Parts: sequence; structure tokens; C-alpha cells
Amino acid sequence: MFNGSAGVGAEDLSQLQSTMRAIELACSYIQINTNPAAAEATILSFHQSPQPYKACRFILENSQVASARFQAAAAIKEAAIREWSFLSTEDKGGLISFCLGYVMQHANSSDAYVFSKVSSVAAQLMKRGWLEFTPAEKEVFFYQINQAILGSRGLDVQFIGINFLESLVSEFSPSTSSAMSLPREFHENCRKSLEQNYLKTFYSWAQDAALSVTNKIVESHSDVPEVKVCNAALRLMHQILNWEFRYSKGGTKGSINVFSDGVRSDASSRKTECVIVQPGASWCDVLLSSSHVRWLINLYSSLRQKFAFEGYWLDCPVAVSARKLIVQLCSLAGEVFPSNNAQMREQHLLLLLSGVLPWIDPPDVISKEIEEGRSGSEMIDGCRALLAIATVTTPVVFDRLLRSIRPFGTLTLLSLLMSEVVKVLLANNNDQETWSYEARDILLDTWTTLLASMDGSGGNARLPPEGMHAAASLFSLIAESELKFASASSTTDEDDADCLASVSAMDERLGSYALIARAAVDATIPFLTTLFTDRVARLHQGRGTVDPTETLEEIYSLLLIIGHVLADEGEGETALVPDALQSHFVDVVEAGNHPVVLLSSSIIKFAEQCLDANMRSSIFSPRLMEAVIWFLARWSFTYLMLVEDCNLGSNQLQSLPSRACLFTFFNEHNQGKFVLDIIVRISLTSLMSYPGEKDLQELTCHQLLHALVRRRNICFHLLSLDSWRNLANAFANDKTLFLLNGVSQRSLAQTLVLSAYGMRSSDASNQYVKDLMAHMTSSLVDLANNSDLKNLAQQPDIIMLVSCVLERLRGAASATEPRTQRAIYEMGLSVMNPVLRLLEVYKHESAVIYLLLKFVVDWVDGQISYLEAHETAGVVNFCMSLLQIYSSHNIGKISLSLSSTLLNEAKTEKYKDLRALLQLLSHLCSKDMVDFSSDSIDAQSTNISQVVFFGLHIITPLITLELLKYPKLCFDYFSLISHMLEVYPETLAQLNSDAFNHVLTTVDFGLHQQDVDIVTMCLRALKALASYHYKETKAGNTGLGSHAAGHTDPNGVFHEGILSRFLRTLLQFLLFEDYSTDLVSTAADALFPLILCEPNLYQGLGNELIEKQGNPNFKTRLANALQVLTTSNQLSSSLDRVNYQRFRKNLNNFLIEVRGFLKTK
Amino acid sequence: MSDEEHHFESSDAGASKTYPQQAGNIRKGGHIVIKGRPCKVVEVSTSKTGKHGHAKCHFVAIDIFTAKKLEDIVPSSHNCDVPHVNRIDYQLIDISEDGFVSLLTDSGGTKDDLKLPTDDNLSALMKSGFEEGKDVVVSVMSSMGEEQICAVKEVGGGK
Repeated sequence: MFNGSAGVGAEDLSQLQSTMRAIELACSYIQINTNPAAAEATILSFHQSPQPYKACRFILENSQVASARFQAAAAIKEAAIREWSFLSTEDKGGLISFCLGYVMQHANSSDAYVFSKVSSVAAQLMKRGWLEFTPAEKEVFFYQINQAILGSRGLDVQFIGINFLESLVSEFSPSTSSAMSLPREFHENCRKSLEQNYLKTFYSWAQDAALSVTNKIVESHSDVPEVKVCNAALRLMHQILNWEFRYSKGGTKGSINVFSDGVRSDASSRKTECVIVQPGASWCDVLLSSSHVRWLINLYSSLRQKFAFEGYWLDCPVAVSARKLIVQLCSLAGEVFPSNNAQMREQHLLLLLSGVLPWIDPPDVISKEIEEGRSGSEMIDGCRALLAIATVTTPVVFDRLLRSIRPFGTLTLLSLLMSEVVKVLLANNNDQETWSYEARDILLDTWTTLLASMDGSGGNARLPPEGMHAAASLFSLIAESELKFASASSTTDEDDADCLASVSAMDERLGSYALIARAAVDATIPFLTTLFTDRVARLHQGRGTVDPTETLEEIYSLLLIIGHVLADEGEGETALVPDALQSHFVDVVEAGNHPVVLLSSSIIKFAEQCLDANMRSSIFSPRLMEAVIWFLARWSFTYLMLVEDCNLGSNQLQSLPSRACLFTFFNEHNQGKFVLDIIVRISLTSLMSYPGEKDLQELTCHQLLHALVRRRNICFHLLSLDSWRNLANAFANDKTLFLLNGVSQRSLAQTLVLSAYGMRSSDASNQYVKDLMAHMTSSLVDLANNSDLKNLAQQPDIIMLVSCVLERLRGAASATEPRTQRAIYEMGLSVMNPVLRLLEVYKHESAVIYLLLKFVVDWVDGQISYLEAHETAGVVNFCMSLLQIYSSHNIGKISLSLSSTLLNEAKTEKYKDLRALLQLLSHLCSKDMVDFSSDSIDAQSTNISQVVFFGLHIITPLITLELLKYPKLCFDYFSLISHMLEVYPETLAQLNSDAFNHVLTTVDFGLHQQDVDIVTMCLRALKALASYHYKETKAGNTGLGSHAAGHTDPNGVFHEGILSRFLRTLLQFLLFEDYSTDLVSTAADALFPLILCEPNLYQGLGNELIEKQGNPNFKTRLANALQVLTTSNQLSSSLDRVNYQRFRKNLNNFLIEVRGFLKTK
Repeated sequence: MSDEEHHFESSDAGASKTYPQQAGNIRKGGHIVIKGRPCKVVEVSTSKTGKHGHAKCHFVAIDIFTAKKLEDIVPSSHNCDVPHVNRIDYQLIDISEDGFVSLLTDSGGTKDDLKLPTDDNLSALMKSGFEEGKDVVVSVMSSMGEEQICAVKEVGGGK
């Protein structure tokens, strides 16, 4: 339809006009939404037409319709990127100068979006040609732009010039660049070149542009057009500083060898982003010695005075940009500061701080103004500046900064500011979207940033005394306000009141509070003790007479706060006693007087009261119990029965007597065993006496009990406790514990089995597990042997019993350890037949089926690597019967339900089942990788690969393409398939042709998935297949044999072999479809052996491609490229690493060379 | 058939219809009786009566026969009724003109009191499978005195 390369003359003009009209019409149709599909098709075919540049220029210059001009610009970009490799050098330069010239000529007209599009097109084309243009060629463009930015051609052109640089920088920055279907290397080279040669120049141009208009702005009293230029320049500077500098640093990549006194890059717990700006030493003159900062501060302060005038206000664009740049300069760090001049850095920060100070100081006055209606954004930016400064300094330097201009340090200011914010927050706590909320988060991050470094540095770093005082008073204010908030909210009926969710939501905030508290433990720990004992006393006084809800809620909050202050979240690691708590309280010599011991003991004593039934009903509400359990879990992980290890903690603390008090008080020779007993009894109470409180029970099982048995030394003591024996007894026999939620049952079973570690010998451990689980297995066996099983099984109470037992068996299975492996193997062995029976009778009860499958999956996972050959054979047979029974129940089954919800549920259930079965096969696979069995290579050993392929054969018919839309299932399936093909291609070759084809059909399906991971796995599978065949045939074997050779069916139609089919598919994919460039290397690895296997077909396909090209120029190019693909780089026909690498390179070049015109229609 | 029916009724007629179960233990995918109807639970959420009160369960469930959506809130330590849902497979032996089907029971008798399902796809599938002479197995779900065909499975002639 569109033909850009038409003839010349009058005919040409009329054709251009008709093209323009067609595009204008299409654009207006889209706008008024008339027949949008046809209009879009018109525009799309315009974008895809070969060499549309003339028409595009014509439209840009002549059309009155803005959106048509926009589309023309887009078409230039798309066509040029596609056809770049065969455009002439003049054409390339011509297109860029045209775009640049166009925006500058029309700089003063409206329709800004067209200009930003054209200028971004210019930027993209410039980047596309960046590595081929000579410096002189680039110089021509940049001279033009520099002239524009200097302002000689008027404000509008100046603005456009700055704007162009903004698009250029964002195009070169990897995170914002646009795709050009080129390898990542290209983008990396462009970025390097820009960073090393141009970025700084751009920055100084922006500085110059801003300077040139500063006077006008400062002197005027109303909005002047210069403001627009100034704003653009500020934005460009901000953007340039946002660049992720890499190449200007002297040290290795990513290292921050900044100040000797340390800078932290870990910002994991932060909510507010604070990027450290590290442009490197060469930037010193531009940023620091040129009084750039002073200029910026002055500019902003003069802007501040203008906020009353028309056209200016606190949040006007130029003010916002200026503040952003100021905040950004606060986080300047690295080699930009000469290492021999520490003064310079402090002066730089001081200058910025003094500029920022009017935004935040005095806090009370400013917060009052904001509450009366002023915008809070300046205050928030002030907080951000503090955060930025905190990020690049140490607490001591941070505090010192302010002292030269104020009678107090920066920490005191920070504390005052935050107190003010907390007060405001408390006053209007109902509204979440206020400035105080945001300010509090930023300030908390500031504290975290300052204090987190001290916490981990061995306890010898401390805040200055004044800072400590500031932290203590801030913490007491925070604690009081949290309590006030708690008691106020005690009556509101929150929906998301479950403890786990709310704790983790508050976790971050409380974690930061805890850091503040630990900065001044001498004051805060006794303070917390007072608060706690006071609330508990209040509770007891009012018992039975006053409604305790408010106090309960306060204690709830207090427990959470204290938990955070006393101990860190372990996250699977052993959490040490916080350094601050180890190193302070040096004058304490007796454990009973240690503030931490006092606080812990008072809480444990309080918790113990829940064992009393009366107290429980009047005080210990489920919610309070949740907090108690949570606290005990966290506390015991850090303090209970510590093993004194010289390697733990910092050495200089070892000798402190106060530390010894703290460490020994709760160990096994002292109070440890007593406290452990209390904890176990409390756990049992919470499991038995709070029926139906799911959250509480989960917390008890998962957090508390599970954490206890993870510690080996605690297991020894647990097993000697009567209370633990009671728990195990109740688990095996008590009906109440059968009422627990399924997940809790599983976790409890796992916990109890794990505790068997505490037995002195392996035999005793196995016996313990056997006794524990005997009741469950026998009940399952009895049920399965019941003659009336079919009817009995359907009864709801039996279903529930079976579910419980299966959950417990699964829990036990997942706790398999070398010591208890025998007992758990026997446990599984004894229920094998019952499991198959139940699979039969519960075929309609999908919930039970899933539990059954999951039990088997976990059991096999735990056992498989330990099993001897004959045992393996038994387990494998069992798994195969399981698969077969499952499959026979589900193949061809169609469920009916009037409800679409139930149908969807049924689909999800199928998906979960199949995923479990795939996991089962993967676990079986692992036998070939990890095997601890004693008999080594045994003649009778099971051929695992055959078994797994057989299993796949059983279940693949169940895996419909519909089900593969579940991403997890899809992932599991293809990772299993690609693993199998990579490791056992020879087994695949032995499959019968049906099974073989089924596997490969799914691979073909996988190749066309969107997910890069899936496609990668399929490509790896193909590589494995083709290289296996090639190597085998080369060695004179049959390889894939008939599968590869193709066959003629009875009707005389020839079906080509599997490798030929995939060669075709893969070439089609690589040349004509859209895919991520990340896939090219993997695809190359698959393509190379395929070509070697089928050289004739490859030749044929290549010739076919060449024939199809109409343009003789393209014909030769394609022929050359195909030639080069298989010959350049000394590519030979052996499948070794070097050759694969060479072929990857060749393919990359090949695709860059030919994809452009092959994709042009 | 008579044998089976007999056994079914012998086990305490009233109690066999529903069983009590703690509300906190009924999970998604399980069954529950709401407003006298047997339902399948599709959603369970817990909440508390006031911050320091006890947990209660909120069930959203779907009537297994009529597909109507029902909801209920029960304190999680209290008991709910759980229906006895039975599913039995029969072989299809005839489809009569008036839409009734004839099913073969395990014991060799026939069961003729069920109609073709109202779902057109499913009934078409049953008819076509039946006419082609395949073995068609239907699952009949029964609970609280009601019965319905709930699934169909074609077992190829060979098996």
C-alpha cells in the first residue's frame, strides 16, 4: 500500500499527498473511535512499509494534524531501526539532522508531544548509530545542540536543546533505553562511551544554560519564560546525576571505597529510596569547585521569597526540581571528593544543610504552618535531605555538622523533628495519607541508616551523649504514642486483625523503633520494664470490675515493641543478643539485677499466668496470647540456653561481667530448663484451650515450637521434660489435637519428629518416632482393611480423620533426617497399600487425594536418596501404581457443575494434583544424582530414567495445553522434560513413537510460550537431543534412529524426521518471530547441532529463503550472510565449547544483518 | 442394589445425613450445611468479635445441587453440620425417550430414577458416547436425600 521509494516528480507529489491524507484520516478515525481496527491497520502497514522516510518527512512538514505528525515520527524510528544495516551513511545522518532541525525550527509551536516524540526519535537513531559514527560526525550534531543550549537562538530553542539531551541520556541509560533488537553488549558500549566522553559536558551545558537565565528569574517578580528553561536544565542535571556511574571509579565495579569512616550501601529495610551519587573524581570541578551548590542554594532561597508572587508557589515545577537536585547533591559521595581533603566533604554537606535548614527548623513552627494549610512538600524534601546526608556519613559526622551553626547537634534536630511529626500523627491518626505519615517513614529510615551501622560494628560505636539523650527521649515519646494509639484503637473492629499479618506489617516500623531504643539502652530498657509492670498491675487491679480491653491492647503493643528491642528476627539464622545489650550495663554484676533479665523475667512471669484457667478466661484473650507466643518464640531463639561459643560475638565484649550475667542466666545450669518447661506448658495450653483459634495455633506450631526443636541442644532438654512428654501424648491420643487446623497438625508432627534428635542414640530416636506415629499408621491400616470401607470412607468424620492422619504423616515425612530415616521409611512402607486403597475410594474427594499425593511426594523426597536397591524398586513400583490409578480415574473425566466457581475450583485442584505428581517424578530423578545407599552399582538396580519416562508417559495425557497455562505447572513440567532430555537422551531414543512424539509435541508447544525461562528450557532440550544424535551417528551408532530419519505412512505421505522438523521451526522462530535478545545464545546452541545433523535440509531452507527475496541487493546480502554464518570465525563441525561460542557470535551477527529486511513486508 | 440401600439406611437414618464438625476445621473445598442445603465451601475467612474476642469463620459456599451461593458466619469453636456426600459410579445402560437414564449398579441391578443432566454439553456427550457404543460411566452424587449426575467418563471400548 505504501511505497516510499516511488519515482520523482509531480506523480511523486500527488502520491505523497495521498499517503498523508490516508494517515491523517486514519488518525482522526482513531480519535473519534470510528472503525479503529481498520485505522490501526493502515497506520501499522505505514510503519512497516519499506523506506517510508520521504512520506514521513512530507507529513511532518505539511500535515496540520498533530497525531499524523506523531505517527510519521514513529514510522521514521521504526523503519530506520529495522533497516539501519542497509541505509547509507548519508541517509542515517540525514534522518537525525532532519529530526533535530525539525524540532528546532518549530520550537515555538504547540503540540509538545509531537516534539518530544521527534526529539526522542533523533535520540534513538543517534544511539543506533553511536558506535559507527566518527567523532567528527557526532561533533556536527553536538555543535548544533550546544549552540541551541547556549541560548543564541532564543529561549524556545534553548529549551528544545535541553530536552533533546534529556531524551538522549535516558536513551543511553540501560533501565530506560528502548529495544533495538541488538545484543546487550551494544547498549553497554553506548553507555560506557556516553559516560566517559559526554555526560560531564552535558552537565556543564545544563549549568551554563541555567546560569544564563538565573539573573532574569531572580530579578523578576512574576512568572517569566526563562523559568521554563531553568526548570528543564535542573531536570537534566538531576537526570544526569541519577545515572548509574560505573566507569569513572578507580576501584572495582560496585565497590564503594569512599570514606575511611564507612558508608553503607545496604538499604534493604528502607522504604524511601536514596540513591548514592558517585560520579567519580573527574566530576569534582563541575560539582564542587565551581560553587555550583552555592548557586543552587541561592537560586532556591530567592525562589522561596517569590512564593507569594503570581506564577510561583511552593510546589511550582521549578521549585520542585531545585529541591530534588539539592536533595540529590546531599547524597554525593565517592572519589568526587579528593581523598586528601576530608574538610571539603563536610563543607559541602554543611552548605547543603544550611540551605535545607529553613525548610525544617524550627520543627514546631513549621508543622503548625503545615497543619494550617501550607504544603508539606518542602518539609518532606527536608527530611529526605537528612536521610541522604545520613546515608553518606557516620552518626558522629552527622551530628557534628549542625554544631557550627547551632548550639545543638544534628541528632537533636532529628529527634525534635521526629517528635513533632509523631505528635502530629497521633493527633490525627485516622488519616493515612497525610504528610506526617510520609515524613515519619523518611525520618525513621534516617535513624535506621544512622544506627544500623553501629548495631553491627561490634558495640564499640556509640552516639555522642547528647545524641543518646535525644534518642532516649524520642523513644519514650514513640512508645507512649504507640500505647495511646493502641488503647484508642482497641475498640475498633479491624478486619485484618490476625496477628501474623499485622505483626509483619508493623515489623519494619518496630524494627526501626528498636534501633532507636538500642541507641540508648541505659534509659530505654528500664523504661520499658516500668511501662510493662505498670500495665500488668493495672490489669490485675481492675480484674472483674473494669473492661480490660484497652489495657490488653496496650500490653499487646508493648510485647511487640519489647520483642523487637530485645531480639532480632532470626530469619533462619541464629539471632545473637544485640550488641548494644551486651556492651552496656557494665556496672551490673549480679544477673538478677541485669535490666534485660528483669524485663524478660517479668514478661515470662506474666505469660505463665495463662496456665491458670481463671486468669485465662479473664485476661488472656486469643489476641493477647498471640503476642505472648510471638514474644516467647522470638525471645527464646536469642536468649534461651545459649551455647557459649568463643566465635560468636565480638571479642572485646567476652570479658564483660555484665555480659556473662546475661548469657548464663537463661542457660541450662541456671533458669533455662525451668523457663523451657514453662514455654512448653504455655504452648500446650494454647493448642488445647483455644479451640478454633487458627492463627494462635499456627503461631504456636510454626514459630514457637518449631524454633525450639531447630536448636539441637534444646532437643536434649525437651525430651527430658514431662511437659514435652505430655505434648507428645496429647498429639498421639488426645481428640482435641485432632481438631487443629491441617497445617498446624503437619507442623506439629514435624516438630515432634525433629525433637527425636534429642535421644542419645539412633535406635532410640527411631523408636521414639515409631511410638509417636504408630497410632496414626495403624488407624489408616485398619480403615483400609475395613470391609465396609466404601461406605465408611464417605462419612464426613472419617474424611476428617483421614485428612488429619495424612497431614501428620506428611509432617513426619518432611522431618526425615539420617537419624530417623529408618523409622520414617517403615512408617511409609506400612501405609503403602492403604494409600493405594484410599486413592481408589476417595477418587471423588479431591481434597483427600491432594493430601495423599503430597504425603507421598514428601515421603519419597525424604527417603529416596537413602534407599537400597531392593527398597528403591519397591518404592518405584508403588509410585507407578499410584500414577496409574490416579490417571485411570481422571483420563476422559468430565465434571459437571452448574456453578462456574466450582468448575474453576476443580481445574485448580487438577493443576495442584499434577504439579504434585511432577514433583514426585523429579524427586525420583534425584536418585541418580544423590545416592547414599550402601550397595553401589548393582545389577538389579532400577533404571530411574526409564521409570521417570514411563511416569511421564502416564501423566502427560492428563496435562492438557489448558493446564499448562498455569505458570508453575508449566515451569515444573518443562524443567523436568529438559532435565530428562539433557541427562538421558538415550532413554528417550528407546521410547515408542507415540510417547516420543508426545514429549516432543509439548517441547514444540513450549517453544512458542511467552515465558523466556520456558523457551530456554525447551531450547536446551533441543540442543541435548540434536547433539546426542550427531555424536552418536558420527560414532557409527543409530542415535535417535527412526525418530530422526522420518517415515512414510501407509497413505504414502512422507513425515519428516524430528530433527528436520525442529530445524525448520527454529529457523522460522529466529528469523521471523519476536523474542527477547537474551534467547539468541541459547537458540544458537540448539541451532548449531541441528544444522550439523541435517546439513542438506539446511542448505535447502537457505536457498528457499534467498529465492523468496525480490530485491537483488537483499538476495546477495542474504546469501553472503548465510555463508558467513556457517564459515566465519573458523567454525568447524565438532561440538565443543569453542565451536558453540563461535557459532553464538556468528548467529548474533547474522541476525543483526538480515532480520531487518526479512521482517519488512 | 437392595443390599446397598439397605445398608445405607440401617446406619441410623437421621445421623447419616449430616455430621457435626468444628467450624474452624472446615476448609476450602470441604462441605457444609447452610440453611439446610448441602454446600461446597469456596472461601473461608476468619475474623474476631472485637479485638480481644474469639475467632469466627465466614463461609462462602455453593449449593452442590443448585449452584446457588450461600454464606454463613459461625464462631470457630462451635460445631457446624457437614453433609454426608456420597458419590457412586454406575455404568450407563440406556437412555430412554423421556430423558431418564438407566444405570447398572455394582450388584447387577438397575437404577432408573435419574434424568439426564440439564447441562446440554454433558447430556450430548452421554448420548453420543452411548450411541457410539462406548462404555460410559456416570458418577452420581447424593446428599441429604437428593441425587444428581455429576460427572461422566468414557472408558474406551477396549478397557
